[in-house]
Amino acid sequence: MNKLYLGGIIFTALMLLFTYMSVIGSEGGLHGDIVNMLAVAGAVALVIITVFVVIKYVRQMQTDTADGQLADEKWDGIGEYLNELPMGWAIMFFLLIVWGMWYFTVGYPLNAYSQIGEYNEDTAAHNTKFEAEYASITGDRLVEMGESVFLAECKVCHGINADGIEGKAANLNKRIEAKSVKLVIANGSNNHLLGMEMPMPDRNGLFNANTSALITDAEIDAVASFVANGMAGAGADIFAGVCASCHGADGKGMDSVAPNIASFTPALVANVLAHGKKGAIGEMPKFDRLNAKQKEAVGAYITNLSK
Amino acid sequence: MFHWLEKHPFFFAVGIFVTIAFAGLVEILPNFAQASRPVIGTAPYSTLELAGRHVYIKNSCNACHSQLVRPFKSETDRYGHYSLSGEYAYDRPFLWGSKRTGPDLMRVGNYRTTDWHENHMKSPSGVVPGSIMPAYTWMFKNTADINTAYAEQLTVSQFFSTPYNKPVPMKDGSTKIVKMGASTAEANALALAEAKVIAADMKDQDVKDAVANGQIPEIVALIAYMNSLK
Repeated sequence: MNKLYLGGIIFTALMLLFTYMSVIGSEGGLHGDIVNMLAVAGAVALVIITVFVVIKYVRQMQTDTADGQLADEKWDGIGEYLNELPMGWAIMFFLLIVWGMWYFTVGYPLNAYSQIGEYNEDTAAHNTKFEAEYASITGDRLVEMGESVFLAECKVCHGINADGIEGKAANLNKRIEAKSVKLVIANGSNNHLLGMEMPMPDRNGLFNANTSALITDAEIDAVASFVANGMAGAGADIFAGVCASCHGADGKGMDSVAPNIASFTPALVANVLAHGKKGAIGEMPKFDRLNAKQKEAVGAYITNLSK
Repeated sequence: MFHWLEKHPFFFAVGIFVTIAFAGLVEILPNFAQASRPVIGTAPYSTLELAGRHVYIKNSCNACHSQLVRPFKSETDRYGHYSLSGEYAYDRPFLWGSKRTGPDLMRVGNYRTTDWHENHMKSPSGVVPGSIMPAYTWMFKNTADINTAYAEQLTVSQFFSTPYNKPVPMKDGSTKIVKMGASTAEANALALAEAKVIAADMKDQDVKDAVANGQIPEIVALIAYMNSLK
């Protein structure tokens, strides 16, 4: 027997032995599952085919002699045999040309996929899911949703506890700070917290009905601490005389006239989110990335905070 | 001809280059020219914003912050509309960045304001608990380089026809004119006028005093740049 065959058989046996050992040693072993069996079958086939093919070509190299007709032309002294085109290869070649034409003209997936198209599909799917699951939630679930939106978007300025991080933003656990009240009385307000109400005049337009005179510095201080205190304490008479005509006797505001300054309302919060606001502390940007339901939810959450 | 080419490798290489380059030009250039036009709503940077952009580059903000919103729902929820190539038309160089240690800043002007930036640059962990961003206190003391910003404006307006002092279309249908001074003195005056608006919203008394005295601290320029990113 030829040395080559002997070597091939020994090599095959060794490889099969290694395959067997590694499979036996692995979790599940030979009978673990179908994938193990497939892998083993594949490995066995691979080893046998490789050895067979290598032996065939090594034999050919050992025994083959060159024959056939050479082409006239030589390239740097290297010649080429005039061989017939293999029929199978030729058929595949022409089929490939036909396939190539089809692929360039019809099959190329130029319009079948785009990154933006996938994004649009994702967004549409998300919006549909949002509509189905969250469009009609109310009560505690709405507050919960508001909290999660708050933690994603609002906490960066207002803090995790909505306390405004030591005066860096509005403390949302209470409706209003004294300095904010003072600022709007001194300068008026055009924040349109309800969307379309009249602007509030500055102190030169604020008459105290009790004294029939413009509001004074002392009265501003008193009414500011009254409002900031949650409509309690000294200053109720000044509030009744100056502010109540628009903001209501209880400070809860009037539709289309003046916003609620006794407590938050979801509509007020949603409006601030839609338009932003510039107040005593600084400027708040608008958050029009949030959809209407998310704004309503944040409104519910913040209203709930100061209850 | 092919035999001739095979015998002359240099010209063969040139031929290959020309063929492939031509195919590339035909495929790439028209699309590229179309996509790199400024989109509506993209305006050139003002002198102060450009000075702020230089501060941004000087402090390597782009090493941790990207300026590129990818078209994924999770990103557009957080940062706003995905980026379009035309939005970088006036960015030289663009500051896409390649790593997000901090958040993307492509549209930070939409959801942060002057006073927040002031607090944040002074003490990042003071507003964002757990933030690993360092404080940039020297920006409150260093003076912004308005002259270099103006030099850049002049250069880009002459070599790239960047539309300074010309109406630029905005998203709401209006037009905006970004002014560029005719001289260094005028450019400094324009920047100072813009800086005064920013400083009015800031709390730091040293910064307010500096702006009142005609100086522009780096932080003011940087905030102007941040606010312009929309």
